[in-house]
Parts: sequence; structure tokens; C-alpha cells
Amino acid sequence: MKITRTLSLGTAALLAIAALAGCSNDNGSSGSSSPSSSSSSDSSTPAANNSSAADSSSSADENSSTPATKLDTEITVVSREDESGTRGAFVELMGIEQKNEAGEKEDMTRGDAEIINSTNGVMMSVAGNVDAIGYISLGSLNDTVKAVDVNGVEVSVDNIKSGEYMVARPFMICYQQAKLDANAAATDFVKYIESVEGQAIISDNGYIAIDTTDNYTASGVSGAISLNGSTSVGPVMEKLAEAYKALNPDVSIDVQQTGSGAGITAATEGTCDIGMSSRELKQEEIDAGLTPLKIADDGIAVIVNLENPIEDISSDEIMKIYTGEINNWSELA
Amino acid sequence: MQKAIEHIMHALFLICACVSILAVVLICVYLFATGVPAMSEIGFTDFLFGQKWKPSSGYYGIFPMIIGSILVTGIAVLIGVPIGILCAVFMSHYCPAGLYRFVKPAVNLLAGIPSIVYGFFGLMVIVPIMKSIFGGSGKSLLTAGILLGIMILPTVIKTTEASLNAVPKSYYEGALALGATHERSVFFASLPAAKSGILAAIILGVGRAIGETMAVILVAGNQTILPENITSGVRTMTSNIVIEMGYATGLHRDALIATAVVLFVFILIINLCFSVLKRRKD
Repeated sequence: MKITRTLSLGTAALLAIAALAGCSNDNGSSGSSSPSSSSSSDSSTPAANNSSAADSSSSADENSSTPATKLDTEITVVSREDESGTRGAFVELMGIEQKNEAGEKEDMTRGDAEIINSTNGVMMSVAGNVDAIGYISLGSLNDTVKAVDVNGVEVSVDNIKSGEYMVARPFMICYQQAKLDANAAATDFVKYIESVEGQAIISDNGYIAIDTTDNYTASGVSGAISLNGSTSVGPVMEKLAEAYKALNPDVSIDVQQTGSGAGITAATEGTCDIGMSSRELKQEEIDAGLTPLKIADDGIAVIVNLENPIEDISSDEIMKIYTGEINNWSELA
Repeated sequence: MQKAIEHIMHALFLICACVSILAVVLICVYLFATGVPAMSEIGFTDFLFGQKWKPSSGYYGIFPMIIGSILVTGIAVLIGVPIGILCAVFMSHYCPAGLYRFVKPAVNLLAGIPSIVYGFFGLMVIVPIMKSIFGGSGKSLLTAGILLGIMILPTVIKTTEASLNAVPKSYYEGALALGATHERSVFFASLPAAKSGILAAIILGVGRAIGETMAVILVAGNQTILPENITSGVRTMTSNIVIEMGYATGLHRDALIATAVVLFVFILIINLCFSVLKRRKD
């Protein structure tokens, strides 16, 4: 009884706060392209801020009825954490990784970028912030955020396959050839991944399959396989392992998700049979005795808030946004 | 026979006591054994006072995180302590018995809410408000401070209320007898008498705030730079460990453990202050 009353009291308080937050939301009403109307939109901004919950919906209507081409607000840059595979691929492809004074390559992502350590977190943050820009794996994209075209090319499985959409990275596995040959089950599993059946699982999960015509037939091998590496490759690898075990019940597969770097190290040191990486292997890693093998492609979608009118962005602009040269949406071409 | 059982049970209790001590010792040994070599490899001053944290490029400076932790905790104390103390004063001296039946369970409920729920509340409610007031992303030092201020409330309220209730009734009655009003008696006789308990409440609050992780990650922005002003994003030491542990290998991993060592030393200092205070009180 006591608890119910307390709870209802608390809920009421929460609702009140939430309502306040909802109506004070800055709709980021945008300066339109013509100078004469920009002054009128400026004067409407404080009105929108002071509006109560009741007419906040009408101001949203107003926003959608006047087609604005650009926001006139400061960009909130959202990034993944240092050493994330997605961030590594993104900064490399976009040219955000630049040479510093010492001549070494350094990730130049601006220091005041918001750092979030998960794909879902990035989507949540961009979905809740009109001014935000972020990047995520294409396989995770949903309708809470908007993916923008990069250099005029829409992010889609077909465009990544044809190479037109430039922000894509390979999913790799790597192994020591001799160690793989010694393990019949692992050899067979690799054959399965590269088969039509294995690639079907990859495309079912939203990634881009590689072209193959090999069919897989269960050969009845037995044994144990250990995999280690990227947390991006891990989920789809679990699916592959599951399907493979259904065909070959005598094989046990252990997938450890530790990160691309850790997986490659483990494969080099021989503590696992197969390493997983969400980026291309570096030359020194191949020189250390590893054989790389591409198992799929994954696009990186550049995402903005649904209310952001921007549709297209150039890779050069993305680089400038992430290095801090461009601070405001209105500075974009 | 009876004696044998007595001995066995005695040993059993001793073992139970040892388990918790052993856990503390093992954590210490593990932290320092991994963290200190990493610190010396990076260089103690480079690690503690370096302003650049870019593990992929070989920079391991946690100074922004140390400052971040201190500032976030400071703001939390500034917000949470006055509210908490006044709330405790109200509960102990002003609250009608009927209302107390709600307030007390409400405070207990506040203490029982998991920190990730606080974080989600912060992300969905405080962050949009801050964004509409200050612009930017709304995730900032101030946002994290406010959220932590709310989170330390139950700790501060409970400890302060307990120490206020422990003040002998005669202090308050004596003040009344000398002609002081109810307010004067409460604020100038009872409250000063509970001083050491209130200090303990503040220290416990600080300990709670500095160790908080999940809620802070969601609302602080997690930038690894020194905050320029109160609306800049900030990363605390605890966030740094949680955010990067997933991908960290080699020296990066050890540097994160070394961050934990620094945090551990902070907590140790706080606990030391607490026990010194307690001893003085006794």
C-alpha cells in the first residue's frame, strides 16, 4: 500500500519533468536559404522555445511544411571509442587519420567529439539530437536515424558490392596455413564459410556476401575449432558456427569476441585456430605468417537525425567535420 | 563433542572473515602488479599529467580524466549535499508523521534504483533540457554533475538523518528553553552537534559519486580533453576503463588497469578520511 502510493507519487513527478523537457525541446528551426526569410525564422525561434507542450506539435508541423535545406546549428560530432574496429576503418577511409608533426599516422578525430562505445549507443544519441552526426555498421542501421548519401551514392548492399559507396570495410579471417591444415574441422569450416550456404547466412544478417559458386556438403568431420577476434565479425560468426554445427554435430566451435587486434595477435601466436578482423590485415601481420581471407563486406553508414534535412555529404566534408574544420551545418556545401 | 563443534564453527567464521580480506588483498595485488609496471613503462608523469589520451597513437595521459572525475564529483557534492542535508533536517525535525511515512520509503527507493536506470533517466530527461538551455549535445560536465547530485542524495540524507537523530534531545530542548525559536534550535543547536555525522555523509557521497560509472557514461559525452567550461563534455576515470576495456590489448589494457590504480588510490584516501573522522568522533 505504502509502496504503491510512493510509486504513483514518483511516477507523477517523472511525468511532470518529462512534459517540461518535451516542450522546452529546441526544434533547431533552421535558417532557410533566402536571406529575407532568415530574419523571420530567427524571430520565430524564441517563440518556439517558449511554447507550451500543447503547441510544440504545431511548431513541428511548421518545420516540416517549410522545406529547409540546411540546419543552422553547431554540429555535434559522435564517434566510437579509440581502437574500435569501426572507428579504425572509418578514420582510415575518410582521411581523418593524418600524419602528425612527427610524421606518424594519427587519428585526428576532434577532441570534443562525443565518445560512445557501442553501435546502439551511437544510434540512440543521434536519434535524440537534431544536430548530431555519427557512423555505424550498415548491418545495424534502422529507421530511428537517417543514413546520408556519401559523395552522392546511397548506402546499400548493391552500391557497396559495386564499389561505388566508398565507406565499406571487409570482414576478414586469418590463420596460419600449417595450423589450419593440421585441423580438419577448421579447414572444413573455412570451406563452409566460403560456400554458397555460408554466404547466404552472411547476407541474411545484413552484410554483403562475396561471390561464390562452391556448394558445401557436410563431410562428417569431427574436432574442435577456436576463433578469436573482432566484436563486429563475432555476431555473424556465431550464426555461421551455429549453422555449421547443425550440419556437423561432432564439431565444437568456440567464438571469443575480443577485438580485431587481439584476434590477429592470437592467430599469430597460435592460441586460436582462426582470427577474426573487421579491417584489412597490415603487411607486417601477413609477414608474421598469417593468411588473410575475406569472408564478407560491411558498409559503414554515416547517420544523422531524422529531422536533419541534409541528404548528401561529401567525404571531404565528413573529414572536415570530424577533424574540427567545419563546426556548423550551414558551412556545408 | 560440544567443544569440537565449537572449534569447528570458530574456524568456519574465521574463514568467512578471511575470504573478504583475501578478496581485498587480491584486488590490491592484481591492480598494483599490472598497473604500476604499465605506469612506469608510460612514465609516471606522462601518465598522470599527460593531457593526450590516444592509445592507438601511443599517448596515454589520464590527466583530463582525473580532472574530469574531480570536477564531476565536485558539482555533484555542490548540488546533492545542500539538498540532502536540508532534506534530512526536514525529515528529522519538521516532517509530520503522516508525511514521513511517504518520504522515508521514497528516499529508500531512490537508493535502490540501479545506476543504469538513473543514466537512462539522465539521457532522456536531463540531457534534452540541458541541450535546450545551453545548446551543444546536452551531454556535459554539468549534466553528469546534476545526475550524480541526485544519485548521492539517499546516501547523504540517510547518514545525516541518522546523525541528527543521534543528537540528544536535550540540546534542542535546552535551546528552546533559552528562548530560541524552533528554526534557531534546529540549525544552531542540533545541526552543529551532528557535524561529524554530516561530514561523514559528505565523504560517503563523494565516494559514491567518484565510483559511479554506468550513469555517467550515458550523460557525460566521454571526451578525453580537459573541459573548457561547465558545458563541455568530460570523461571520468571509471568511464575510461569501461568504454575501452572491450578492445584494449597489451599496453593499452595495462594503462586502463593503471587508471583503476589511480581511482583506487582516490577511494583509499576517501576511506581514510572517513575513518579518521570516525575515530575523532568516538
